[in-house]
Amino acid sequence: MTLLIGALTLGTILALLAIGVYLSFRIFAIADITVDGSLTLGASVTGVLLIQGSLHPLLATGAGFLAGMVAGMVTGVLQTRFRINPLLSGILVMTALYSVNLRVMGRSNLPFLGATTLSTLCEQLGVRWLGGERIELFGWEVASGDVTVLLLMLLFVALVAILLWAFLKTDLGTAMRASGDNPQMVRAMGGNVEAFRVVGLALANGLVGLAGSLWAQYQNFADAQMGIGMVVWGLASVIIGEAMTGVAGVGLAITGAILGSILFRELVAIALSFGLNPNDLKLVTAAFVFVALVLPETLSRLSVQRPRGQQEVA
Amino acid sequence: MSPSTVMVRLGKASKTFHAGTVNEVRPLQNVDLEIAAGSFVIVLGGNGSGKSTLLNAIAGSFLLDSGQIELDGQNVTDWPEHKRAALIGRVFQNPFSGTAPNMTIAENFALATRRGLFRGLGWATSSQRMEELRDRVRDLKMGLENRLDTAIGSLSGGQRQALTLLMATWLKPRLLLLDEHTAALDPKSADQVIALTDQIIHRENLTTLMVTHSMQQAVNLGDRIVMMHKGRVLHDFDARKKRRLGTDDLLAIFENIRRRELLDEGAAEMLRQQYV
Ligand SMILES: Nc1ncnc2c1ncn2[C@@H]1O[C@H](COP(=O)(O)OP(=O)(O)OP(=O)(O)O)[C@@H](O)[C@H]1O
Ligand SMILES: [Mg+2]
Repeated sequence: MTLLIGALTLGTILALLAIGVYLSFRIFAIADITVDGSLTLGASVTGVLLIQGSLHPLLATGAGFLAGMVAGMVTGVLQTRFRINPLLSGILVMTALYSVNLRVMGRSNLPFLGATTLSTLCEQLGVRWLGGERIELFGWEVASGDVTVLLLMLLFVALVAILLWAFLKTDLGTAMRASGDNPQMVRAMGGNVEAFRVVGLALANGLVGLAGSLWAQYQNFADAQMGIGMVVWGLASVIIGEAMTGVAGVGLAITGAILGSILFRELVAIALSFGLNPNDLKLVTAAFVFVALVLPETLSRLSVQRPRGQQEVA
Repeated sequence: MSPSTVMVRLGKASKTFHAGTVNEVRPLQNVDLEIAAGSFVIVLGGNGSGKSTLLNAIAGSFLLDSGQIELDGQNVTDWPEHKRAALIGRVFQNPFSGTAPNMTIAENFALATRRGLFRGLGWATSSQRMEELRDRVRDLKMGLENRLDTAIGSLSGGQRQALTLLMATWLKPRLLLLDEHTAALDPKSADQVIALTDQIIHRENLTTLMVTHSMQQAVNLGDRIVMMHKGRVLHDFDARKKRRLGTDDLLAIFENIRRRELLDEGAAEMLRQQYV
């Protein structure tokens, strides 16, 4: 039971990563590998602020979000202002971020021992609310702290998802979405397509940084390697989510990304408990995304409709 | 604004693509053009004569190599496309170009209601906007007013062009640019869209540049014909002259251009044989 709750919590936290990848992959049609670096950046910035700055966990978490945004902004500027190929822009920023993260942490692994994190705050709240270290849940005895962390994370992710959904429905958010769908039309309507892309990638990587920050606080350490392969992880979650909810609307797609993330983490936990070698995890994840991408027929039978490419006209 | 005000002024506008290569093309060569406010100009010319390039240059899809563009008294020569969009409404030849296919009709129009304006955090498909939208879409008599939440990409080309036209003119543009906007449609849809075009242009008294390959449209619509050839304005018929032109006259002019061109090529061939 504790294992299940752990997997659910991690799946919920990484839903923020999935939402971020949804933004860059489905709205701007970019597999944005900046994610691998910005996840770690969110974690390392939060960690250092918690440990050396003794900042309130909420502020440190916010800083992780902002750090991710800056990373996404840099990628966006490389793509638009300097016209560097989107994939290469992401690779450049990800590579640079590896050094930046080592600089920020001062080492490759930063334990949060003794620091007050969002997770420890949640656990304290849980003990106070639920009146005891352990409670009974469906007949199992579990730590009340674990349950509270899960519930609060679910609540937080739901809040972020609703805010993002609302933003994408505003004038600005609608124009941003359209700029990925048909940049020519958006320009003709007076939209600055390049600026929208920078804002969109900043937002996407901000969410990823937030995921990294929460993940690190949950596992109580930040690690320079923790972001490796996470863009593929996010893609897997998005694809699973689309199979579940379809993509017939922003709200459904965001819900799908969240559910996909939780389900994917759950599947991984099950596979690991059945003896999957953790070292093979990235291989399996990549293979999964590959299969999902080369079997569009299978997917389109499952999901409603996939976004189409752009039409260029002379 | 008096009818004699100039809305568009091009001064020695030039554009060369692929300069210095074997593929060099010069679709705009020192073009001088003045368009009075409220006039409806038909642009004719053969394939590759520079009609689309002329419209794209005015819209700002690229910047001129040399020359000037004034719109409504402002020098917009260096303005990026999205800034000029505050003054310009556009409908493209390809029905896919003017709409965001995966977004709903309502969302597409939400974009149009803020053309050239600041976009903030207001709700894009507010009920007030939707009400107005439903009324104006109902006027199209295409039965689309009850389908505002369907993806615009699922509509026919004719429906999309009609909607794009409505979007381009939702906020009254200083200039409307139409680039063969019915060329990709079947004859019946094309007629519908042309009727709508004429109706909107007259109702709003819009200054318009319309490219077409249809002599019929050229004769029936507009109050001036500009004919392009090899990046230059070859003929310019004002309202008085245009009234006297029939489709046959226009075809004869085209034939003339073609013959002169053959003559040119024949002469060049002769010279080549003599000197090479
Ligand atoms: N963006 C561009 N890059 C390179 N060449 C271009 C570009 N736009 C136009 N051209 C070239 O300029 C020339 C004029 O093209 P343009 O599209 O203006 O012709 P047009 O009069 O609109 O012809 P059509 O009737 O076929 O639409 C063509 O040779 C075309 O290939
Ligand atoms: Mg053309």
